[in-house]
Amino acid sequence: MSVLNNKIGKGYVLLSTYICVAVTLLIFIVLFSNSYDALHQVGLNLFTLEWNPSSNKFGVLSMLYGTITVTFIALIIATPLGISAAIFTSQMTSSKGRILIKSTLELLASIPSIIYGLIGIAFFSTWVASIFDLSTGRTLFTAGILLSFMILPTIITLCDDALHNIPKHYSEASKGLGMYPYEIIKNVLLPIASRDIAGAILLALGRALGETMAVMLLIGSIDKIPDPFYNILSPGQTITSKLGREIGESAFGSLHFSALNTIGCLLMVLVIIITITTQVHFKKERLYE
Amino acid sequence: MKHLLLLCVFAILVSSCSNSSSNTKTITIAGSSTVLPIISNAAELYKETHPDIKIIVNAGGSGVGVNQVGSQKVNIGMISRDITSKEKGLYPSILFKTQAIGKDAVIPAISSEIYDAGITTLTLEQIAKIYKGEITNWSALQGPNKDILVIDKEKSRGTRHVFMATVMNNKEADAPGADLVLGSNNEEQTALVQSDAAIGMLSMAWLNNDVKGTSIQTPNGEPVAPTLSNIIEGKFPITRDLTIVTNGNPTGEVKNFIDFLLSPQGQSIVTDNGYVSIK
Amino acid sequence: MNRKNINSIFKIGIWSAVTICFGILFFLITVLVVKGIQAISFDFLFTSSKNFGAEGGIMYQIIGSIILVITVIVLSAPVSIGVAIYKSEYIKSSFVQNMTDTLIYTLNGIPSIIYGIFGLIFFVNILNTGISWFVGAIILAIMILPTIILSTYQSINSIPNAFRENANALGLNKWQVITSVLLPRALNGAFTGSLIGLARAIGETAPIMFIATAFSGVTIPERIQEPISTLPTHILALAQQATNPQALQNAWGASLVLITLVFLLSISALVRRIQFSKLNY
Repeated sequence: MSVLNNKIGKGYVLLSTYICVAVTLLIFIVLFSNSYDALHQVGLNLFTLEWNPSSNKFGVLSMLYGTITVTFIALIIATPLGISAAIFTSQMTSSKGRILIKSTLELLASIPSIIYGLIGIAFFSTWVASIFDLSTGRTLFTAGILLSFMILPTIITLCDDALHNIPKHYSEASKGLGMYPYEIIKNVLLPIASRDIAGAILLALGRALGETMAVMLLIGSIDKIPDPFYNILSPGQTITSKLGREIGESAFGSLHFSALNTIGCLLMVLVIIITITTQVHFKKERLYE
Repeated sequence: MKHLLLLCVFAILVSSCSNSSSNTKTITIAGSSTVLPIISNAAELYKETHPDIKIIVNAGGSGVGVNQVGSQKVNIGMISRDITSKEKGLYPSILFKTQAIGKDAVIPAISSEIYDAGITTLTLEQIAKIYKGEITNWSALQGPNKDILVIDKEKSRGTRHVFMATVMNNKEADAPGADLVLGSNNEEQTALVQSDAAIGMLSMAWLNNDVKGTSIQTPNGEPVAPTLSNIIEGKFPITRDLTIVTNGNPTGEVKNFIDFLLSPQGQSIVTDNGYVSIK
Repeated sequence: MNRKNINSIFKIGIWSAVTICFGILFFLITVLVVKGIQAISFDFLFTSSKNFGAEGGIMYQIIGSIILVITVIVLSAPVSIGVAIYKSEYIKSSFVQNMTDTLIYTLNGIPSIIYGIFGLIFFVNILNTGISWFVGAIILAIMILPTIILSTYQSINSIPNAFRENANALGLNKWQVITSVLLPRALNGAFTGSLIGLARAIGETAPIMFIATAFSGVTIPERIQEPISTLPTHILALAQQATNPQALQNAWGASLVLITLVFLLSISALVRRIQFSKLNY
């Protein structure tokens, strides 16, 4: 009886794993096979500027540009703020304070993205429009700001973990040498934690790349690269926003649908590479024993 | 705790399975955001007299309406334009049957600040130039010195097809001068309100104090205002039927609902929402 | 500039950054609470929505979100626990270990809208299920598999090998060891992981907006193949009418309700993790 149970138990466990594997493979197969049409017929023309489904033009460059720009803005804002806050929580607060702050941050990291979108539409788009005297507040910049809010808790928590896990004897030895806190952090702690901090930033990058709802509402959804290209105060388009808006409209099985699929796959592969890199990264041996 | 959860789900699943031969008939509808208010309100009213019918309504735009009827996912599609030949070609086995339930006009809508500053009439040519990007500042039209915020719509939206067909003679024309691309009439109205120098294409039911419709100056010089009487008489150049489309002739409960839409009660919903009835 | 001054500037910099950070986070919460409270009333919570959501309440959205989330857990937890046990107890080679890890991290990394597209292609089109709340639950369940797997795995992994060896020495076979020694802790970890996963799933819009939800006319789904209405998709519809004050207010109200549910789930998970981290062996 218990032998039978053993077999059933093993069967259950294997079945679960097979389901997991099958589902993952299924996702890849379904998405890649639906991209085949577009890759075959449009091919390298995917990397042009014009997106016009009715004349079979599927250039995704403006979306790629938008995705990269918006993510870049988000990282530029969130990284310094995040690392500074992490320095604060790991070095300058008591352990009780640290737990309190970390718990709050975790809660905040769980705010759904649609709510960020709502706050962006209701407040930030009008603020950006009036501060910079623009005709519309739906810009790459606005989307970047909201994205930075979303990834900030992640960066703070992970960098704080990185700094906190450095054995105390490093900072104590440095204090013994008469170094100021600034010097300890800059010359001793940050370099040691740099790998983990880089990992944290990569993870935040992965999250920012895949974010749809807030960006879709705030970016203006216009398939153009701003002119000049560094003018982030103008509307643009990202891959996720394009997908969110047009998937429902394109007929299943059409070239349009396939093209949308392709850029979705592009994004997916990119984000997965980043995610796996960070996970492998975090497992590597630390610089100290 | 876990037992309770399991029990709940079991109950839901059981009840959902046992209803496959139930009395409740469901009508699914999807499509144009212009037709949506009529259908939503009509559905609510219809349910009061037909409590066993469930009517599920979704937006998405005219393109979604056609796609969903074509792939047989909904019973009724809502469209505010004609079905393109390309779309018909995508669904060769579907017989699209259309039925107009109301009339609407697409108005070139501008922010009230611009309207109050004096620009109340535009020619079709001026509008075309704005959307092509050849006119970029309201001062070129004797208005205030502000950059025009050109609001465009997603390409498959019915409102856009109708607008572009009249303004640019090509229902799927590109608009190189566009600054924003939005979706439903709701979103467009929001963006127009948020800006003080915008132009967009709106269905007549969405005009309000912050979003004013311009009159269109026809080639023989007469500005035609977007008033109900002009639209009913057919004088306003950009009009369209609000249509529902089904796969083949509607039957059963679907037919009953459509008949309701065409009845005096249904048509009064059409006019209550700001459109023109079909009669 | 001597070192002391640099240090002071540094401290000021850090404090400013921290103030900005926490200012932002404080702003977000305050806005939600202040604006949301104005919309909440008994009517709001318990009537159905009308007129694009600009009038009426959000009752069916709340019910829809809860139904979806319960189904998600029922679908996801058994599979996750199985995978976690497999990862912890049955894998011998490190190659398979790495592959499994890669698999889990891959699932974790897929953006939510890609899940939505997958659901659209596979379920709605290929399997022709139409818009179905159950399909939405399946997709969300797949999405949170990694979260529950990792949490369960962590609990199992924290049990020292000595326990397993003792059980083996007493003559129990593998599965009996698992059920008697590991499963209680595993279930704890799974429950905590579920709470975290659900907190994420209840707020997701992109995966379900094409495949499971409808805009109006939805009450409680009676069949598997019916759409459902949820809080996040409702907020999306309302956010697109942001200049209609009534719609905007309802959006804030719905957001506050959603955030409350999310926080309840997250806080429960947090409390459990702090409690269980105090357990020592």
